[in-house]
Amino acid sequence: MRHYEAVVIGGGPAGMMGSITLGGKDVKTLLLDENDVLGGQLVKQTHKFFGDHAHYASVRGFEIAQKLQEEMAKDPNIKVETSATVIGVYPNNLIVYAKDGKEFKVTYKKLLIATGAMEKQLPFINSDLPGVYGAGAVQTLMNEYGVMPGKRFLIVGSGNIGLILAYQLIQAGAEVRGIVEALGKIGGYEVHAKKIKRLGVPILLNHTIVKAIGDESVSGAVIAKIDEHFKPIPGTEEEKVVDTICVSVGLTPLSELAEQAGCKIEYIPQLGGYVPIRNERMQTSNPDVFIAGDLSSIEEATTAMIEGKIAALEMAHNLKSTDVENEINDEIQTLSLFRSGPKSEKIRIGLEKFGINVKPVPEIERHGVQIGPQGKLRAIIDCTEEIPCNSCEAVCPFGAIHIGENLNSTPVVDYDKCNGCATCVIACPGLAIHMLKEDVENSTALVGIPYELLPLPEKGQKMWALDEDGNYICDAIVKKIAKYPNKTNIIYVEVPLEFSQKVLSVEFPKRESPFVCRCEEVTLDEIERVIDSGITDFEEIKRLTRVTMGPCGGKNCKLVVLGILSRKTGVPISKLSHGTSRPPVKPVEFSLFTKRDDSK
Amino acid sequence: MEGRIKAHPILEFRRGKRVKFYFEDREIEAYEGETVAAALQANGIRVLRYTPHTNRPAGLFCAVGKCSSCLMEIDNVPNVRSCMTKVKEGMHVRRQNKRGDVL
Repeated sequence: MRHYEAVVIGGGPAGMMGSITLGGKDVKTLLLDENDVLGGQLVKQTHKFFGDHAHYASVRGFEIAQKLQEEMAKDPNIKVETSATVIGVYPNNLIVYAKDGKEFKVTYKKLLIATGAMEKQLPFINSDLPGVYGAGAVQTLMNEYGVMPGKRFLIVGSGNIGLILAYQLIQAGAEVRGIVEALGKIGGYEVHAKKIKRLGVPILLNHTIVKAIGDESVSGAVIAKIDEHFKPIPGTEEEKVVDTICVSVGLTPLSELAEQAGCKIEYIPQLGGYVPIRNERMQTSNPDVFIAGDLSSIEEATTAMIEGKIAALEMAHNLKSTDVENEINDEIQTLSLFRSGPKSEKIRIGLEKFGINVKPVPEIERHGVQIGPQGKLRAIIDCTEEIPCNSCEAVCPFGAIHIGENLNSTPVVDYDKCNGCATCVIACPGLAIHMLKEDVENSTALVGIPYELLPLPEKGQKMWALDEDGNYICDAIVKKIAKYPNKTNIIYVEVPLEFSQKVLSVEFPKRESPFVCRCEEVTLDEIERVIDSGITDFEEIKRLTRVTMGPCGGKNCKLVVLGILSRKTGVPISKLSHGTSRPPVKPVEFSLFTKRDDSK
Repeated sequence: MEGRIKAHPILEFRRGKRVKFYFEDREIEAYEGETVAAALQANGIRVLRYTPHTNRPAGLFCAVGKCSSCLMEIDNVPNVRSCMTKVKEGMHVRRQNKRGDVL
């Protein structure tokens, strides 16, 4: 049996940061994680994280995991065991885990439990049907394994995970038919919601899923409006044609191991469910056991990392009497800052039940959206909800963006200093910043839109400009595609001046047009375009589009094409030339002609 | 293989070596490093077992080893979490019926 000064269970953001901090304080540490790669849920997050630059703001989740892995690998004080499933924590500081089909035992002086959380269940009819996944499962499949488990999705729950999932699904090429949210308001960050709304994803408030449809696998979903008691209102049921349903109705802490380790557990709904009681320094009712991350309260990776650090510092102090007082106080202060915004109200209420009060922090400043001086190329920031992030302020090379001491404050731009460099556009984790320059003389405007989808358009290409709800407003011509290493690119499009303040998104023109010629697969749209270009002769339309020239010889489509031509030109069909009919009138074997016997 | 993301605006998928395993004796192509459950989803296979009491089909739910919805019979061992088990060349995977047989 091996013995360690410190053991950490769980290699997500909290456990990794805890291990790094312990190692840095010369504590011999063992980190146990069930997965074969460290990082926890970070490894499947493709979006840039909110926060400040000391805590990896603007860095994508999977890249944060890589950075933490690299840091850990450098420290000889940290021993990592992956694919190690902890099965129980026993008296006398004993941990038993399974790895490669064998059982291992290890003891600790101090234990940090960072087991995280799991997704909550939502029972509805057929919620056990294959094709109903937890939102996190779909993230794992898509972003870890490159597997797309469906084509058309319905998401249940509009918290950050549901909103992020919708965006990630679109990035991976799937269709999101909608998000249903039982409450009357969106649960997650406004910027995450806006990102998907302008891509056309409807978020249906006061709605729930009633049942999944399907025998062996999902082939649809019934949703309905709900009343104030969350009961479906009869007659409002609506069927959605989807093949996959993702449930994201929140997370609940995984507190079993903490309970086995002798930590007192309490049910605190604001923190996510059953959580271990702990003090401000993450120490539980068992003085040898500490917790951090989602196990202590369902929050963000940023706060999980800070908690991991606080727990580890206090553990190092307990073990080696290391002086960590200033460091701990700094971290507690930072945590208070992160939790001072309105989105953290639940967490604050929950923590108060443990007698933990958030420290006083500088007041939050609030600013609306500024439009800035017309005619100048500049950044427009649509970020009016108080969330803990100051990435735009941190990256601006000209000091033109101010957020101030409390990072929940909303940004304010000094347009005398903004020089249109767009650095903030590509850094903003919420994709809430775009570029704008009006050209009054030519009645046009240049709009620069952050774009994280494939394929990229080409310069000169015509796209559709969309508003905040993903509705078409006007055509847009692509003027420039600015590519950036962090893969948030900017597409600059020219639009009519009158729409300059409405354009927030672009998409490729949707060519949904019925097929007229089923042999040669020619659409109504293609035929109309040829006619619109001035070609009104049936024979010429044939040669250009190949309508009527397939195996059926025009039996299917000839009359339809002539009808279109007649409608467009005003010439009655009877007056139009309908071309020449040539043999063969039915598809026959070619050998019929080559083996012809003229004597018969 | 169907069900796989070919191009992604943010991620590059560095897939492992191609391997073959068997699902109900049917040959399935997969990549080294991915889990049995992921490989099956990529191949459009969603029903991973039938439940003990009501014989209902069950599939993958959490994909991170927590919910136990994806239990399968892998190389004759029942109750294996297919979302936490990596594919191996020649592996035999079967849908689990009820609780699985004790060997």
